[in-house]
Amino acid sequence: MKNKNAYIAIAVVCVVLTAAITVQIRTMREESSAVSVATANSELKDSLLEWKERAENAERDLEESTKELETIRNESTTDDNSATEKQEELKKYNQLIGLTDVTGEGIVLTVSDSSADSTLLDMSSLIVHDSDLRNLINELANAGAEAISINDERIVNSSCVTCAGNVIQINGKRVGSPFEIKAIGNPESLYGAITRPGGYTSMLKSRSIQTDAKKMTNIQIPKYSGALTQNSIEETN
Amino acid sequence: MMVIAIIVGCVLGILIGFISPTIPYTVSQYLAIGIVAALDSVFGGIASNIKKNFDIKVFISGFFVNAILAILLTYLGEQLNVDIYLAAIIVFVGRMFNNLGIIRRYYLDVISEKKPFKKKDKKVEN
Repeated sequence: MKNKNAYIAIAVVCVVLTAAITVQIRTMREESSAVSVATANSELKDSLLEWKERAENAERDLEESTKELETIRNESTTDDNSATEKQEELKKYNQLIGLTDVTGEGIVLTVSDSSADSTLLDMSSLIVHDSDLRNLINELANAGAEAISINDERIVNSSCVTCAGNVIQINGKRVGSPFEIKAIGNPESLYGAITRPGGYTSMLKSRSIQTDAKKMTNIQIPKYSGALTQNSIEETN
Repeated sequence: MMVIAIIVGCVLGILIGFISPTIPYTVSQYLAIGIVAALDSVFGGIASNIKKNFDIKVFISGFFVNAILAILLTYLGEQLNVDIYLAAIIVFVGRMFNNLGIIRRYYLDVISEKKPFKKKDKKVEN
């Protein structure tokens, strides 16, 4: 009798034990982020891919909408003389603010991280930083560049060049070395501004960063792929 | 008989575990320490049953008191920012291995007694 009680007691405890284990395992599966870093990482990777795809889709949608808008505008202004003028004006302004693909003469400047032995020199001075790119953009704009892009990311008035760990973000998109800076404008003045003695590229060269400026006649600079938003600004009368 | 009791208990427990809802993550660490206490109780119960000194009062009270103490220790450790629950786990797991040793020796004896050429006089120590 005593033995039978023992079996029952052990069986009851076994029921409680396995029920608890099952509940615990199910809980940990649900809270998979806390179970292991590996699971959390793979989930993060999944969501990253998902968001990337969403961003690409949104970009494509934007592009389609812009094209649609363009065709509608063209259609509605074909028979109206004053509207055609307005349309021309609009095109010109869109070109200026960077919403159209543009082409023209100018220079192409390639800047890439130094291949020098990093054990001998300061590691930080051998790589191209966001501030370097900002200075180069400034230099080009100062020399009268009308359109600038870095690795096909168009520089517009809302563009920012920021450091994001081991890459640089331009317009919120990651770019890495080598940086191909295209600038449309007077080739002579752009080339002179970039390569002048004591200019920014000579400073980069002293840090043994490789730069290469080329004058070119037919440079193509893509349009700004994002959306220019206006929430706070109003025209003053 | 013992094996049947354990298997029936485990199957029932898994079924109940699948039916019942999951618990919040913060509570799960207390449940985890409770699981270790329960495992210790099961091993202790089997071992004492083999040694023929099984007492249901000791068994049940041991199960609850050990689990509650372990959970309280975990709570205290959380308040003090010291992992006191590790002490409970070490004690429980140590006892589990002890009890497992007793069970193992018993069943080794049972198995070897069935063999015809078994030397009865040979005592197994440790």
